[in-house]
Amino acid sequence: MLEAAPARAERTSGTRATPRRGQILAQNAPLAVAVVLLVTMLVIYVVLFMASISAFPGAYEAASITDHAVPLSLAAVGQSLVILTRGIDLSVGGMMDLTNSLAAMKLQGGFATEALWTVIILLVGAAGGLLNGLLVAFGRIQPILVTLGTLSIFQGLALWVLPSPGGHVAGGYTSLFLNPNAPSSLIFVVLLGLAWVAFRRTRLGVQMFAIGNDEQAARANSVPVIRTKVIIYTLAGVLAAAAGIALATTTTGGDSTGGDVFTLSSIAAAVIGGVSLFGGRGSAVGAICGAFVLTLLVDVLFFANIDPLFQPFYQGLFLVIAVGASTLLGRILVRRR
Amino acid sequence: MSSTTESSRSPGALFTALNPDRRKIIYGFAAAIALFVIGDILKPGFASASGIEQILEVSSFVGLVAAGQTFVILIGGIDLSVPWVLNSAAIVMVAVANGSDGKLAIGIIVALALGVACGVVNGLGIALLGVPAVVMTLGMNGIIQGLSLGVTHGLTCGGCTKPPPMALVNAMTGKTLGIDTSLLIWLVVIVIVSCTLSFTTFGRRVYAVGNSQRVSHLAGVNVKLVTIALYALSGLFAAMAGIALAGFGGGATIGMGDPYLFQSIAAVVIGGTYILGGRGHYLGTVAGAIVLTALVSVLLSENAPDYARDIVYGVVILVILVLYGRQRGEA
Repeated sequence: MLEAAPARAERTSGTRATPRRGQILAQNAPLAVAVVLLVTMLVIYVVLFMASISAFPGAYEAASITDHAVPLSLAAVGQSLVILTRGIDLSVGGMMDLTNSLAAMKLQGGFATEALWTVIILLVGAAGGLLNGLLVAFGRIQPILVTLGTLSIFQGLALWVLPSPGGHVAGGYTSLFLNPNAPSSLIFVVLLGLAWVAFRRTRLGVQMFAIGNDEQAARANSVPVIRTKVIIYTLAGVLAAAAGIALATTTTGGDSTGGDVFTLSSIAAAVIGGVSLFGGRGSAVGAICGAFVLTLLVDVLFFANIDPLFQPFYQGLFLVIAVGASTLLGRILVRRR
Repeated sequence: MSSTTESSRSPGALFTALNPDRRKIIYGFAAAIALFVIGDILKPGFASASGIEQILEVSSFVGLVAAGQTFVILIGGIDLSVPWVLNSAAIVMVAVANGSDGKLAIGIIVALALGVACGVVNGLGIALLGVPAVVMTLGMNGIIQGLSLGVTHGLTCGGCTKPPPMALVNAMTGKTLGIDTSLLIWLVVIVIVSCTLSFTTFGRRVYAVGNSQRVSHLAGVNVKLVTIALYALSGLFAAMAGIALAGFGGGATIGMGDPYLFQSIAAVVIGGTYILGGRGHYLGTVAGAIVLTALVSVLLSENAPDYARDIVYGVVILVILVLYGRQRGEA
């Protein structure tokens, strides 16, 4: 399912009417690398799993992997939207801290309250994203600096909401999203991917790619740069809030620092998924693949009997090699054009 | 990469841009002095000689890390590997010295060499392989973190739980020539780095590469070599901070470098260095480091809760950016 969508989704950046074949190749190479990585990682996982337990991974393992990959997938898609406009969002981790804390405090006490608070939490994410977007677009401040500042603000708000780890998410709410015996959360991942495929064809989606490719040219072609950026950052905030809720349901509790790691891992997932940090190139489907690759990597290292203390070493090495290889591949394809 | 914006900037514009840049450094120091005055009003004695010396001493660690960060940001890069390069240097120094003053020198040399090695690998990946700086240094942070934790079995090995040699502890917590040693080290670094940036060909090359890699290359600057050298310097300064912190705090601990990533970037930015490279100076970063530390100290002296500190921290960074971090409008 994941492999089928991107081939169509990544046709062209929308600014040029007739892309040359080399451009299509060069643009799709990183996404292809991401899909190949995902498949390779899955194969390695299955082989290692069978070697150590001598059984085929079952529904429980599949559920465990997808449940853990959902928060990162959501965060990585939000991150990708921002990176596609040639920005970066360091505040993702802080927003996830805040929304994770809110979820653990408020998502309980009956369906109506839970539904209401879900909406409120998503609106909190939208408000945070809006603040980022306004400062970046109207304030003309570099995204990396704006989001460095808001990261600190969101982290502070999270500590204020939930001073020490605790709280819980109602069991009924959790079971809506997660099922320990079946990878039902895969539905959300697929929906997210489909939403992306539709989104990138909308006017807003095309404008996002145009800005990321060349902001001045986009402005000259009457793309409303400020409005588009504000909307994209707001969307990214909503996705980060959704990731915070998802994190609270997978851990069934809250921690006001639990989201911090997602700032850097969402960037890593997007980049492994072939989203170019220079903007205008990439696909959220790739970012989702990247999120699953990173999640699988943890399990692979576990089943390979690698000392957990060495885990960051292999994760870092993997990130550098994956991105280095796909950069080189992209260069070769562009040169051959 | 950003050649479109570079090509629109004429040499004349660069020359006139020097003045606003210098002004930003002065704003930075003015903000630091204002914070000392506010602190002294809120809590008399805050800006006494010993109070100021204390704050400057704490700033010196941020200042050391931010020296390397300034170098790489000046060429439009960034170093996210700072936390664990700092941390691993502290661990290696403590483990090699093994508590004895006699091996302290070897420990320091090995730790500094480790920092330089990490920086060189960063530079090679960025300059030769073309990996984006964010990804390369992020990966390096994980690599060196995993190695540090794995090799020392989670900091439980024989040598690494030992306290650092007493010579280092005494030096870092004591005074040399009448001022705190860490402050003296920082002063020396300030003089060397500032003179390097302002008065040497290497310094001019840094600004040249930061303004346009292509033009620098055509003008005969070895862009790749400069890039590698700057990341190596960043690793060196992170390692120096690690050694100093281990002596100051009485040992190496897991996660001791984590606060220094965002603080070092914030110090550089508050000091007026342009995040996309080419403009800025280490003197501004020095002011930024002092502003950050003084701000935290003011909040601490007011017994502000942790969450308020984080929020004020973020708001101050944003206010400073809105005041003078805005890019010129594109007509």
